[in-house]
Amino acid sequence: MSVLARSVGNAFRNKVRTGAVVAVLAVAISLALSMLVANQAVAAKVTELNASVGTVLTVNPAGGQGFEGGGEPLTAEQAATAAAVPNVSSVVGTKALRLRNATEAAAQSAAGTQGAGTQAAGPGGGQGGPGGQTTTTLTTSLTAAVDAGTLGGRNQAAEGTTGSTAATQPVRSLPITATGIGAEVDSTGKALEITEGTGLGDYTAESTNALLGTTLAEKNGLKVGSTFTINDKTYTVAGLFDAGTTFGNNALYITLSSAQTLAELPGELSTMIVTVDTLENVDSTKTALQSALGTDKADVTQGQNLETAVSSLDSVKNISFIAFVAALGTAGLIILLIMVMLVRERRREIGVLKAIGAPNRTIGFQFVLEALVLVALGSVVGAAVASFASGGIASALISSNSSTTAATTGRGMPGGAAGFPGGAGLPSGGPFGGASQLLTTVTASASPGVIAAGIAAVFGVAIIGALVPALLTARIRPIEVLRGE
Amino acid sequence: MIEVKNLVRTFKSGDRTIKPVNDVSFELEQGTLASIVGKSGSGKSTLLSLLGALDKPTSGDVVVNGVSLASMPDGKLTEYRRRDIGFVFQQFNLIPNLSAVDNVMLPMEFAGIRKAARLARAKELLEQVQLDPEKHVRRINRLSGGEQQRVAIARALANEPKLILADEPTGNLDEQTGEHIIELLSSLSHDHNTTILVVTHDRSLANKTDRRFRLQQGRLVEEPARASVGAAASS
Repeated sequence: MSVLARSVGNAFRNKVRTGAVVAVLAVAISLALSMLVANQAVAAKVTELNASVGTVLTVNPAGGQGFEGGGEPLTAEQAATAAAVPNVSSVVGTKALRLRNATEAAAQSAAGTQGAGTQAAGPGGGQGGPGGQTTTTLTTSLTAAVDAGTLGGRNQAAEGTTGSTAATQPVRSLPITATGIGAEVDSTGKALEITEGTGLGDYTAESTNALLGTTLAEKNGLKVGSTFTINDKTYTVAGLFDAGTTFGNNALYITLSSAQTLAELPGELSTMIVTVDTLENVDSTKTALQSALGTDKADVTQGQNLETAVSSLDSVKNISFIAFVAALGTAGLIILLIMVMLVRERRREIGVLKAIGAPNRTIGFQFVLEALVLVALGSVVGAAVASFASGGIASALISSNSSTTAATTGRGMPGGAAGFPGGAGLPSGGPFGGASQLLTTVTASASPGVIAAGIAAVFGVAIIGALVPALLTARIRPIEVLRGE
Repeated sequence: MIEVKNLVRTFKSGDRTIKPVNDVSFELEQGTLASIVGKSGSGKSTLLSLLGALDKPTSGDVVVNGVSLASMPDGKLTEYRRRDIGFVFQQFNLIPNLSAVDNVMLPMEFAGIRKAARLARAKELLEQVQLDPEKHVRRINRLSGGEQQRVAIARALANEPKLILADEPTGNLDEQTGEHIIELLSSLSHDHNTTILVVTHDRSLANKTDRRFRLQQGRLVEEPARASVGAAASS
């Protein structure tokens, strides 16, 4: 019988105890593997975010953000100036429009709460909310997909305090965000995810085609090829997109020129999305861009919400790593204690083996192998549990962090989610307003590679844990055998 | 040849110092079958453990074929036990979750003998000690005391040691099997030039050995050999 066979046999001497040990080990190992899976998933997400939107800068009109509102609109000339800044790889202009259902707007107009038609927002955002920029309000045949009441009390800010004269606010749906874009990207610079139909083709040309958010299209019973109106002008649904958020999908995109024409403000931009060639050049380009456009004309921001989101993800990453190490340590400790107990229990047997000529290394090796048999069994069960539980555990970790992050980022951020009703009307409530959404889109799946790496770590720790009792066996003297005789 | 020189082993028991082995000296030629008798607690097992390098003497030395055990490092002592010594313990000390044949194979595994060779030798030894072949693969804890004793003797013989130290080897055996074991030990010592030292209460076994020692209060006294006993009786 070989040392391995003997070790396997020893591991099953007491089946009840072996079962209990394997169960405890499996809990620790499954927790360790789940934490590793979460850690890897979050790390991958951080890398992806940095790679995809980490190089995007957003230019807004100076003073056109936050509670101050107002600001001079950006122009096509400023877009050309931005494009000329070194390391800038692309500049995409956007023109934000706000659409109100024509029937509802007429009813409100009749009630004297607010005039319909084209108007510019007043000071302080005019539309009564933080995050106000110069935004044009138009009428449409569409009905918003976000119903009144969805946002609770904040819904009442839709008309705002400065723009409202009525004592009682009628219940109504939220405005629809229409954004004119100069390329097939959303307001964060990410490529639009078109789920049906096609894009708009030449985004710099006038067009009567539009891209609708999936929920907006569903709410209005529209499909690719259907038509709707904006200010009595007919548009055709060329495609549907999924922004991944409710606000994002209560929106539509048209070409930049079309939006400017609708707003009767040719050459005017709400924002510019500037993409820098590399992540390393972002800081210097941001400074150069701010200098080129002038601090009194434009504000250049670097997606602070994204930084917060990434910071939160980093926090999850750190927590999961610490938990992984702690669970690994626990597994190692369990092995250590179990093996110490077994060594104490088998002192006499160890003495017999030494008396008949077994070298210390053979006995130590036998105990290490026995520990590894237990760990192998625990790993099989633990990996099975982790493959089912890791997603849930990772989600719980991420959601507990994202709720904190959302509470932090949602308030007072320029054009943030909280400022949506009176804000610039960008999808997702601002340049990086979907930060909390980014957190929840982390997919934690237990890939074989990660599980294998985790189990390798568990075995490493188990070997260390088993070495201590194995070394203890070397201190047992063979005379122990005869002590009891 | 084994030379035991002024061997002393003391233990502390509270304030008292106990000397189970007190200045013991003797020599055994290779191939001798010897016995030590004495009352319980007289130090027989302690002496056996010193000869088998299981314990270290307080003073004195055991010299085996010119090599002093006192100066040997632990690694060498392990090698000495593996290669030169065969133990038969009073309580058998077999590994309970292994089969009879696996127990006998253990010392050979430690000596690096190939599996097929050690399996064949283990079976041969178990047949020599008259263990039923069907019990060769039975777990130790499913064998009777006598059967376990036979497996313990077979294990002691596994590596063909130069010295076999046996503590009450026939203590758990019936008369017939005991006789057979005595014949086996006698044959080993005389035909295979193996030195055998047996600790026993069994007078009949002691009387069949070449040399007999009595351990009294830690001191070893040699009793007249078989021939002398026979001569004295006849005179």
